[in-house]
Amino acid sequence: MKHDFSELKLDGVTRRFAGAHGQAFAALNELTLTIKRGEFICLLGPSGCGKSTALNCVAGLLPLSGGSIWLDEIRIDTLPPERRGFGMVFQNYALFPHMSVARNISFGLRMRGVASSEIAPRVAHALKLVQLVGQEHKLPGQLSGGQQQRVAIARAIVIEPPLILMDEPLSNLDAKLRLETRSEIRRIHRELGRSTIYVTHDQDEALSLADRIVVMKDGVVQQIATPQEVYAQPANLHVARFMGYRNVLELAVEREQDGRVMLGGGDIRLTGVRKQRLDGSRACVAIRPEEIVVGDGPNGVNTIVGRVDNVEYCGRDSLLDLVTTSGTTLHVRAGGHIAMGDNLRVHVPVERALVYPSDAAGA
Amino acid sequence: MNATAALARAPFDRALLLIVPASAFMLLLFVYPFFYGLTCSFDATHNCTLSSFATASFTAASYKYFFTTDNQWPTIWTTLRLALPATLINVGFALPIAYKMRVRTRYQRWVTAILVVPITLGTVLIAEGALTYFGPKGWLSQTLQLLHIYEGPIRLTHNYWGVLISLVISGFPFAFLLILSYVTGIDPVLARAAATLGADPAAQFRHIYLPLLAPGLAMCFCLAFVQAFSVFPSAVLLGSPAGPTRVISIAAYEAAFEQYDYSLASAIAMIMGLVQLIIVVAVLGMRNLFYRGPVVGGKG
Repeated sequence: MKHDFSELKLDGVTRRFAGAHGQAFAALNELTLTIKRGEFICLLGPSGCGKSTALNCVAGLLPLSGGSIWLDEIRIDTLPPERRGFGMVFQNYALFPHMSVARNISFGLRMRGVASSEIAPRVAHALKLVQLVGQEHKLPGQLSGGQQQRVAIARAIVIEPPLILMDEPLSNLDAKLRLETRSEIRRIHRELGRSTIYVTHDQDEALSLADRIVVMKDGVVQQIATPQEVYAQPANLHVARFMGYRNVLELAVEREQDGRVMLGGGDIRLTGVRKQRLDGSRACVAIRPEEIVVGDGPNGVNTIVGRVDNVEYCGRDSLLDLVTTSGTTLHVRAGGHIAMGDNLRVHVPVERALVYPSDAAGA
Repeated sequence: MNATAALARAPFDRALLLIVPASAFMLLLFVYPFFYGLTCSFDATHNCTLSSFATASFTAASYKYFFTTDNQWPTIWTTLRLALPATLINVGFALPIAYKMRVRTRYQRWVTAILVVPITLGTVLIAEGALTYFGPKGWLSQTLQLLHIYEGPIRLTHNYWGVLISLVISGFPFAFLLILSYVTGIDPVLARAAATLGADPAAQFRHIYLPLLAPGLAMCFCLAFVQAFSVFPSAVLLGSPAGPTRVISIAAYEAAFEQYDYSLASAIAMIMGLVQLIIVVAVLGMRNLFYRGPVVGGKG
C-alpha cells in the first residue's frame, strides 16, 4: 500500500446490519467525507451513532453495504485490512498478551518483512516517542492502562501508516491520564504529521484534538466543521444538544426579521439568531449555561427573572437551576455568592440564543 | 492484644463446607482405591484382602513379572502405538475445525451438533457401527467395490486400524469441544488488530491464535491421551486382542479375571497410571514454555 496520499475520500459509505425480524438497519448511512493529508478528523457522536462502524469500514474490518473509499486514485474498500496499511488503535488496546512490548510494537514491521537490522532502531524510536523506554521487555499485562494505551499507539505509528485510526482510545483511562494522553496524541500527531481519524463520544476530546469534527447521529452525518464552528454554530438542534447547549426552550415564534427571531412563551420573551429555516409556529432556542449573563440585558432585551432552585458548586463558578414563575428551568453558570432561594435576573446575548425548528418539525 | 488477634482472624466461612461432598467423592472413589491398588500390587499372597495386607509380607514380584514376561511389557508399546496417533489425529483435526467454527455462521450450530454426536454413543455402539460400516462386507467395502474404486479386500476391523478408527470417532468430540471453548475464549479483536498491522489470515493464526492456544492444546492432548490410553472395549471388539491390539488394559483384565492374580492386575494398573503420568507431566511441562495468562488484549 502507498505510504502517503493527498486525499482520502469516503463516498456514500453505507453499512447495514441485520436487525430483529430480519429487518436491515443502516448503522452508517451515506457518509461522504474527504480527508486531506495530515488532517486530524474526529468522528463525534453518542453511542450507536455509527462512528465506530465508519472507522471499521475505513480499516477494512467491516465490508461496506454501499459506497466506496478512495486513497487518491486507488479504490481501497475492496482490499482486506492487511493490505490497506493503516494503523489502528483499538478501544481496549488489543495488545497481544503473549508478546513483550517490543514484540507488540515490531509486529507490523515483521509482517511487512522489514529487515531485522531496521526493526530495532524503529522500535526504539517509537518507544521514545511514546515515552516508554525501559519497558520494552515487559508483557502488556504488567503495564498500567495508560502505558498499554501508549504501546497501542506506538504499535500503530511504527509502521508509518498513511492514516492512523483511533477508536475511543482514551475511554478506559482515568480523568487525569486521559488529559495527559490526549496531549500526547496531539503532540505525536504534530511531530509525525500523519492523517488521523479519531472516534470519540467526548466533545472536549474532539474540540481539543481535531482539525475538523464530523458530528453523527443514527448513522447520519449532522455537521462537518472546525471545532470552533461546531462549538459556536451547531448546524442543528441535535448537534447543539450534544455540544453542551443544555437549555433548549420550545417557544412560540412571534416574529422573524433579518435572521432574528422573536419568541415567547409564559414569562419568557427571547430574541435569537435563526440557524435553520423555521417551518412551524413553534421553535426551539438553544443556550449554553456559561453564555447566560447575570444582570439585565441592554434595554432589558432577553432578560429572564427567576428563583435559584439548585446550586452545584464547581470551583471557579457554580451551576444554578433558575426557575421562572411560569415553571421553566434554566441552567446558568455563574460566579459569586449565590444561594438557594435567591431571586436572580439574567440575560442571554442575542447572538448566543440559537433558534432551530422544534424537534417535532425535525431537527 | 487478644482482641486484635480475634479480630484479625477471619471468621469460618461456611461456604467452605461445599467442598465436603467432592472431597468425600475423591477419597472414596479415587484416593482409597488408588492406595488399595498400590498396596495390592505389592501383596505377596496375591489375594489382596485386608487380612492379607495385615499379615503378609510385601514384594515387587508382580512388577518384576510384568517387565520380564514377553506377553506383558510389550503391551505398553502396543497401547502407546494406538493412543499417541489417535490423540494426535484427534487434536490435529479438531484444531482447524474448531478454529473455523469460532465465528458464528449459519452452519455453525449444525456442524457442531454433527461433530459432537459420537459423544452420546457408547464405545460398544460405536464398535458395532464400525463393524457394520468398515467390516470386510461392510457398507464402505461394498460401495467402493460397486463404484470400482477399490476391488481388493478391505481390512479395517479386527486389527490395529479398527481400534484406531474407533478411538478417533469416540475421542474427536472431546478434543473438538475442548479446543472450541479455548478458541472462542480468545478475544477476536486481537486477530483484527493483527490484520490492521498486515497479518493475513494464515499469519493471524500462526502468530496470534496458535501461541495463545498452545497451553489449551497441551491440556486437550493430555485429556485425550489419558482417554485413549485406557482403551479396552474397542480393542476387544474391533481389534485383535490376542495380537496387535493387546493393550495394557487387556493384560490387566486377564490378570484379574482369568488368572485371578489381583496383585499382578494392580501392578499393571499402577504401571498404566505411571505411563500416563509421565506423558501428561512431559506435555504439561512443555505447556509452561508458552504464555498462560488471560487471552484478551487489554482493558475491555
